[in-house]
Amino acid sequence: MMNNVSMLFSGFAVLFTFQNILATIFGAVLGLLVGAMPGIGSLAGVALLLPLTFKFNPTTAIIMLGALYYANMYGGAFSSILIGIPGDGPAVMTMLDGFPMATKKNRPGQALLTSNLSSFIGGIIGMIILTFMGPLLAEFGLKFGPAEMTALLLVAMTSIGWLVGENPTKGILLTAFGILLASMGMDTLSGMPRYDFGSIYLLGGVPFVPFVIGVVGFSQVIRLMGERHEETKLVVEKLSIKNSMITLHDLKRLLPPAIRSGVMGTFVGVLPGAGATTAAFMGYAVQKSFKSEEPLGTGAIEGIAACEAANNAAAAGAFAPLLALGIPGSGTGAVLLGGLMMWGLNPGPLLFTSSPEFAWGLIASLFLANLITLMISWGVIPFLVKILSVPTRLMIPIITVVCIVGSYSTSNSMYGVLIMFISGVLGFILSETGYNTAPAVLSFVLAPLLESNMRKAFIISRGSLSIFVEKPISLVFIIILVITILFPLIRLALVKFGVMKKK
Amino acid sequence: MKKNVLLAIVLLVALVMPVMAQGSSESSGAFAPSKDIEWFVTSSPGGGSDIYTRSIEKIMTQYNLVNGKTFLVMNKTDGGGEVGRLQVSRVGAGNNANHTLLTFNSGDHDPMLRNTANRIANFTPIAVMAVDKQLLFIGEHSKYKDWAEILTAINAGKNIVIAGSKGDDILTYGLLIEELGVSENQVSFITNDATSDAITSVLGGHVDLVLGKPAAADQYVEAGKLIPVLALSTSRFTGNLAGAPTLSETGPYKDVENAIWRGVVAPGAMSDAAAEFWSNAFKAVAESPEWKRDYIDKYKLVPEFKDWKEAKAYMEEFERTTLQAIGK
Repeated sequence: MMNNVSMLFSGFAVLFTFQNILATIFGAVLGLLVGAMPGIGSLAGVALLLPLTFKFNPTTAIIMLGALYYANMYGGAFSSILIGIPGDGPAVMTMLDGFPMATKKNRPGQALLTSNLSSFIGGIIGMIILTFMGPLLAEFGLKFGPAEMTALLLVAMTSIGWLVGENPTKGILLTAFGILLASMGMDTLSGMPRYDFGSIYLLGGVPFVPFVIGVVGFSQVIRLMGERHEETKLVVEKLSIKNSMITLHDLKRLLPPAIRSGVMGTFVGVLPGAGATTAAFMGYAVQKSFKSEEPLGTGAIEGIAACEAANNAAAAGAFAPLLALGIPGSGTGAVLLGGLMMWGLNPGPLLFTSSPEFAWGLIASLFLANLITLMISWGVIPFLVKILSVPTRLMIPIITVVCIVGSYSTSNSMYGVLIMFISGVLGFILSETGYNTAPAVLSFVLAPLLESNMRKAFIISRGSLSIFVEKPISLVFIIILVITILFPLIRLALVKFGVMKKK
Repeated sequence: MKKNVLLAIVLLVALVMPVMAQGSSESSGAFAPSKDIEWFVTSSPGGGSDIYTRSIEKIMTQYNLVNGKTFLVMNKTDGGGEVGRLQVSRVGAGNNANHTLLTFNSGDHDPMLRNTANRIANFTPIAVMAVDKQLLFIGEHSKYKDWAEILTAINAGKNIVIAGSKGDDILTYGLLIEELGVSENQVSFITNDATSDAITSVLGGHVDLVLGKPAAADQYVEAGKLIPVLALSTSRFTGNLAGAPTLSETGPYKDVENAIWRGVVAPGAMSDAAAEFWSNAFKAVAESPEWKRDYIDKYKLVPEFKDWKEAKAYMEEFERTTLQAIGK
């Protein structure tokens, strides 16, 4: 334990050279920018910057990329909160409460600050856990095989239940639609084409980012066109950091969910292939079972805190398997891993022992990046908030351009843009006819993970269901799953027999 | 001063090139790159093909083999890579075709044949650079100790699960169970997106064996986390992988080997002069000490250079046998 602390301090010693601090700041600023632009996520950011870093020494290079990756998790929330367009997977959840808080409640500054502070808290928790139990954490992640992941994802899927809104039939219909849409493209296990309708583009499936930008973002542009002559109601008069301060009461509401999600998010981040999106998802779902001052989905601080803390903690947690075992937990992790190889380092189980100054320098840089990003993003809030006072008729072309650029850049092709427009029209029609599109987006994210894990589990067990109850970790999740599903029925029965009071 | 002269030459070539291309593509003028080169890679940044591409790019730039021009590496992963391949195959004759390259290996060629009507005839093969082979590994806490024990278990009718990646790994697995004479149900295979995921599942004890290339497993073998148990090759590997026997050493079987070639192709419309130029440039890379040290030795590949004419025959033969095998 103490050894780890002293190693961390030696990491800080590596970090505190003029060059490395500069690299951290540069990475953090770039990460915020890249993250704030929908579609250009950390994956593209790291991939674009990677070739530039070959001239640096490896430690400086990874510190810069680590900071970029980290700051990205902050930036993703900006467009989500201010214009209702989630830039990446995790930000979908932030939007659920962030956007209403900024627009309906007219507290955009506070919404951004809540998101920043929760990100900071979640990140710090994740990094502390990473510092003290990095290798252990990685071992823990290994325990999650296909059976365990399937059970966990099934639990996560149940949380769609509270997203379906007033009309469960419509909600379930859209959940099923999301799953169906996600199954298009090449089958991940056998490589067989599915629902490709003879199109070479559909062979790769429906890309996630353009789909989300379309359904959530562009559909809103269409809606705005109907309101283009209305005056912008929101006028943010004084632009100062002071005006975006949250009250002590807000802070009290923010802390418990942020800390809870921080711890949970770290562990979800460690799991193979789960990543920040699943963490944000789980964080929000868990918050649902705790008390929130306002109902979730109407602009509750607790909602923003729960998912933002979880996704930042997951980003930190994802470094555990990457550094301790050389296993990337996400696409971005894979690019970082490629970078390590290009710099002549061998990522893998030997990294901590063979290049300690590198591994600990990176962990130390995450702490610094977290702090710097918080300061920068806090500082830019007043300018960001100004976006909201732009008249609707000007916002329409601006958001449209953002949507197009974002969906183009994920695959460098017009196919993404086409998908974005189609999903946008679809999203508009659905929400005009009283469907809530959130279940479709979320089942679209989780279904591919669930499918591949479940099928792998069945290959291992030769089609037998017993694998899910024989493995202890999986059994625990299955029990949670059964309780979650049956609880409403049990409560109904208990209320009927007078054991429990009606809620 | 020298730079200006060079620039003048480049400009002159740039001006003359389209004229030449219009005249006849067989005109014997030597080709030199006159603009930036678009190099397509159909897998994600950081993956095996990407590292291969960027390693070559680095050496070509270092030796100034491309007339001072820059490579623009385009990672185009749409449609499992098919979109990028189709796009390259359709580049029309002219200067663009002469400045377009595509990273292409057997793991790309095979799904292209299975899933699309695109064929190697639509491309100009440029070179084959190296051959990769695979091994089977067990995890440190595996219930089996070596291949002999696994073979005994298989012959006793026990179930074995192998994890691996896409493409080539599935083919090699197919060859292996065919040689062992067992069913897909008894010795089953789990396809992962990347070998690293397969390694994760064997380290966690969720599967029995992992099938992969030396590069992906190297560090785990070094740390004692993975133990090589079978070389899927006609001869043993060297270094820390020498402990693994080939299949014929362990019983009445033939060796199983699925050589995975790594190559480069260009649009079918590329001129012969340009193809000759590129083939020579790749040859220079293949002969450089950096290539041997930083790629071949580091990732334990077998160096095997084929120029554009040999590569064409080689890829056509691969296509013929693959199409035959899948009954197309």
